[in-house]
Amino acid sequence: MAYRQFTSQLASIVGKANVLATEEDRQVYSYDGTSTWTHKPDLVVFPTETEHVAAVLKLANENRIPVTPRGGGTNVSGGSVPIRGGIVLVMTKMNRILSIDGANLSARVQAGVVLMDLQAALARQRLFFPPDPQSFLGATLGGIIAENAGGPVCLKYGVTKQYLLGLQAVLPTGRIVNFGGSTVKNVVGYDLVSLVTGSEGTLAVVTEAVLRLLPLPPARKTIIALFDDLPKSGATVGRILDAGTIPAKIELLDNWVVRSINRITGLGLPEDAAAMLMFECDGKEEVVAHDSQKVIEVCQEVGATQVLVAQDAVQAQGYWKARSAGFAAVFGAAPTVLAEDVTVPRSRMPEFIQRVVAICAKAGLEVTVIGHAGDGNLHPSVLTDAKDPAHFQKAQRAVDEIIEAALEFGGVLSGEHGIGLEKQKFMRRTQDPIFIELMRKIKAIFDPNGILNPGKIWENGSGDACEA
Amino acid sequence: MGEHLENIRKFQADVQQCMKCGFCGYFCPIYREEREEKGLARGKGQLIRFALEGQQELSKGFYQAIDNCLLCKTCVQYCPAKTRIDHAVTAARADYAAEKGLPLSKRLVFRYVLPHRWLFGVALRLASWFQGVLPRGQGRFRHLPQFLTALGAGRAIPEIAPRFLRSILPERSTAASTPKYRVGFFAGCATEYIFPEIGAMIVEVLRNLDCEVVFDRRQGCCGAPVYLSGDFATGRQMARRNVETFAEYDYVVTGCATCSSGLSEYSTYLAENAAEKERFERFAAKIKDFNEFVIELLAADLGRLTLKPCFRGKTVTWHDPCHLVRHQNIQAQPRQILQALEGLRFVEMADADRCCGLGGSFSITHYDVSRKIADHKAEAIAACGADAVVTACPGCMIQLRDALSRHKPDVEVLHIGELFTIRSGLADKS
Ligand SMILES: Cc1cc2nc3c(=O)[nH]c(=O)nc-3n(C[C@H](O)[C@H](O)[C@H](O)COP(=O)(O)OP(=O)(O)OC[C@H]3O[C@@H](n4cnc5c(N)ncnc54)[C@H](O)[C@@H]3O)c2cc1C
Repeated sequence: MAYRQFTSQLASIVGKANVLATEEDRQVYSYDGTSTWTHKPDLVVFPTETEHVAAVLKLANENRIPVTPRGGGTNVSGGSVPIRGGIVLVMTKMNRILSIDGANLSARVQAGVVLMDLQAALARQRLFFPPDPQSFLGATLGGIIAENAGGPVCLKYGVTKQYLLGLQAVLPTGRIVNFGGSTVKNVVGYDLVSLVTGSEGTLAVVTEAVLRLLPLPPARKTIIALFDDLPKSGATVGRILDAGTIPAKIELLDNWVVRSINRITGLGLPEDAAAMLMFECDGKEEVVAHDSQKVIEVCQEVGATQVLVAQDAVQAQGYWKARSAGFAAVFGAAPTVLAEDVTVPRSRMPEFIQRVVAICAKAGLEVTVIGHAGDGNLHPSVLTDAKDPAHFQKAQRAVDEIIEAALEFGGVLSGEHGIGLEKQKFMRRTQDPIFIELMRKIKAIFDPNGILNPGKIWENGSGDACEA
Repeated sequence: MGEHLENIRKFQADVQQCMKCGFCGYFCPIYREEREEKGLARGKGQLIRFALEGQQELSKGFYQAIDNCLLCKTCVQYCPAKTRIDHAVTAARADYAAEKGLPLSKRLVFRYVLPHRWLFGVALRLASWFQGVLPRGQGRFRHLPQFLTALGAGRAIPEIAPRFLRSILPERSTAASTPKYRVGFFAGCATEYIFPEIGAMIVEVLRNLDCEVVFDRRQGCCGAPVYLSGDFATGRQMARRNVETFAEYDYVVTGCATCSSGLSEYSTYLAENAAEKERFERFAAKIKDFNEFVIELLAADLGRLTLKPCFRGKTVTWHDPCHLVRHQNIQAQPRQILQALEGLRFVEMADADRCCGLGGSFSITHYDVSRKIADHKAEAIAACGADAVVTACPGCMIQLRDALSRHKPDVEVLHIGELFTIRSGLADKS
C-alpha cells in the first residue's frame, strides 16, 4: 500500500484515532452514492479543525499525495471516490454550527454539518436555509457547496450559490483563505466564492461557510394532480407559472414511480395515471390560500383526472415521504441504475420525456422518469445490470442518446449532480474546448501539483478506474 | 477466499437492497457519535456486499465493523429502500462465528453459562459476593470503582438480587376466578436474577387478569444475546428448549422487550428446515409483550388499572425500548396504560424512541460510545421534567439508571409492571 510512510506524520497532525488505514476502513471509503465507481484510498484522514486541513494539504502537496475531500458521500457522480488513491479527507467530524444570527439572517457552520441537523437548529429560531437537496439526511454543507446542490424549491428560491455569503477554505498548497464576507452585497473583486462553489472539491477544501438564511414560511400546502397523458402535465406547469403563481416545488413522477409508491407506501394512488405532479405552495397564510387555489384551478382546466389536497401537515408529509420512496424504489429496482440528471427548458419537458420513453422502448429497456418539473431538471433512470455486458452496453447507448436529445432540446448534461467521474465522457464530447482549457488553467493556479481530487470533471479519471 | 457465507447468502437480497444514499447516517446512534463510515449501516452493508463478491475477507476488522452495531433498527425504520441491515449484520456475525469463532469471552458465556440455568445462577451468586465490597449507589445500584475498568470506569451497574425469582415465586399462580387463559410467564435473565420483584409483580397483574400463570422452571434464556451475536448453534438449542417448554400454553408473556422480540425471531435465523421454521412461527404467534397483553385483555375496561398509592401525584415519561417499538411495533399500548392510570401524570420526552445505547453486550464491549448515546437519553429525560422514566425492558433500565446517575440521579427508573394493580372485574359490577 502506497503512502503508508506518512501515517505517523498525519497522526501527529490530526491525532492517531483520526488516521485510518485498515483494509476495511479503505473499503468503506471506496464508494459514494454512485453504483458504478469504486476505488480504495490508501489512507483515511479526519480533520477536526481548519488548521488540520491546512497541515494535511501542505504535507500532501509537498509529497504529491492525491487528496480527495469527502462529506457525506451521498453524491451520485463519483465525486468523492478517490480514483487515484492517496488520502480521503473526511470532513464529517468538523460538524459544529458555529453561530446563528437571526438579525442578519445568516449562520456560520463548519463544512461537515449535515443539512438536516442545520435545518433542525434553524427551525427552532424560525429560520431556514432554502437549498433543499433531497439527500438532506446525509449531505454535508461542504458537499452541498462543492456540488452547488439544489432541490425542488429551487423553482422559487434558487440553488446553493445564491445562499453563500462567505467561505473559509484551504488551498491545495495548505494556505487558508477567506472569500466573500458576511454581507449580502459584496463586489470586491472576482467572485471567488462562486468559483469554488460547484468545483466538486477540485480547487479548495471548504472548512467553514457563512450562509444566507430566510425566515421560515408560516404556512404551506401540498397538492397532487394526476394526468392521463404526459403533455398535459407539462402544459399545466407552464400555465401555472404564466398565471404569475410560483409554487415552491413542482415535482413530476411517471407511471412507473406512481405504481412503486403505491407498492411501498400503500397510498392507493390511481395506477392508470400517466403522470403525477406534486406542488407545494408556501408563504403567508393568505398567499398560500391564493396560490393553491390557482394551482387547483389550472390543473382542473387543463384536464387533471384527479386533484388531491393534503388536509394537514401530517398528510402532506406523507405525500413527500412517498416522493422520496419513489426515488428509492428506482434505485432498488435493478442491480445497476443509470440515473441521468439532464435539464431541458421547462416548456420542452413533456416532449423530451416522450423522446426518452421512445428511445428506451426501441432498445427494449425499462426506464422511469422523476423530475423537478418546476425547473426542467429530470432524472430519467435506465434499469440495467453492469454484470451483464450486453444489456449494460445497450443501456449505455440509450443514455448517450438521451443526453444527445437533451442537448438538442437546448438543455444541459447535468442539473444538480455534477460531473465527477460519471459524466466525464459526455463533458469532453459536448463542451467547447475553450471551456475545458480555461478550467485547466484555473485549476493549475489553485493546485499547481494537481493533488486535489485529481481525475475529476474535465480530467480523465477513467484511465485506471474500476468501472463496476 | 474459501468462506461459505451460508447465512449472508440467505439474506443476500437484504444486502443488495441498499442504494448507498447514506440517509442512515442521520439515524444511526453510533454514527452520530463517531462520524465514521464503518459504523454506519451503509458501511456495514457494503463490507458484507464486498464479502459476497469475494473482495473482503472475514477478517478481524470485518468482525469489528459488524460487531459495532446496536441492532436498534433505527436505520431500518427510516431506510427509503427498506434495507434490513439487522438481518445482514446478524447473518454476517453468524458466518464469522462459524468460520473464525467468536471472541473467547463471548464464547464461554454463550456456550456454557447462558444455556445452563444453574451455572448462570452460581456464576451470578459468586459475582454478587464480590459486588458486596463495592460502594453503594441509589437503590439497587453500586458504583463500579475505577479499577474494574473492564465494565467501564465509574459505571453504575446493577446489583445481583439477594434472592432469585425462582425462590420467590411459586411455579403456579392461579387466577382469582375461572382462568381465561393458561399463560406461561417468561422471566428472562435480568428479571430472574436482578429484578425478581418486578417479575413477581408482573405475575400478580396477569393473575388478576384472570389467567392461570405458570413460571415454568424448564425455561432458559431467550437466546437473543447468543444468536444475535452470531452463535446460531447454541441459540438453536436454546430456542428448541423454550419452544418445547411452552408447547402447552395459550400465551407466553414476558415483561422483557428483548425477550419477547428474541423469542419471536427464532424463525428468521434459527430454523434448520421448513418444518422447524413453521414450528418457530407458531411459537412466535403466542409470544406477548406484557403491555400488549394487558391492553388486549382489558380492551375497553382500562378503568380496572389501579395506580399503586406510592406513585400518586408523580409525573412519568415513557422510554420506548428498541425491541418493543421497532422490533414489535409496540408503541401505543404502554402509553394507553400510563394515561389510563388515575393519579399519574404522563409527559412525552423528546425522541422517546431513540435507542438508549445498551445493545446487550455492546455496552460492555463498546462502553465509551454506549455511554455517550445514553447521555442524550438522560438529557431528554431530565428535560421533560418527569419524576420517573418508565419502560419495559430490564436491559434499558440498567442503562438508564447508569446514565441518569450522571445527569439527574433523583429520577427513578421503573418497569411499567411496578406501577399498577388490577381491580377485580367482578367488584366493578357489584
Ligand atoms: C437519494 C439522493 C437524493 C439526492 N438529491 C439531490 C438533490 O435533490 N439535489 C442535488 O443537488 N443533489 C442531490 N443528490 C446528490 C448529493 O446528495 C449532493 O451532491 C450533495 O451535495 C453531496 O453532499 P455530500 O456531503 O454527500 O458530499 P460528497 O458526496 O461526500 O462529496 C461531493 C463532492 O464534494 C466534494 N466535497 C465534499 N466536501 C467538501 C469540502 N468540505 N470541501 C471541498 N469539497 C468537498 C467531494 O470531493 C465531491 O466531489 C442526491 C443524492 C442522493 C443519494
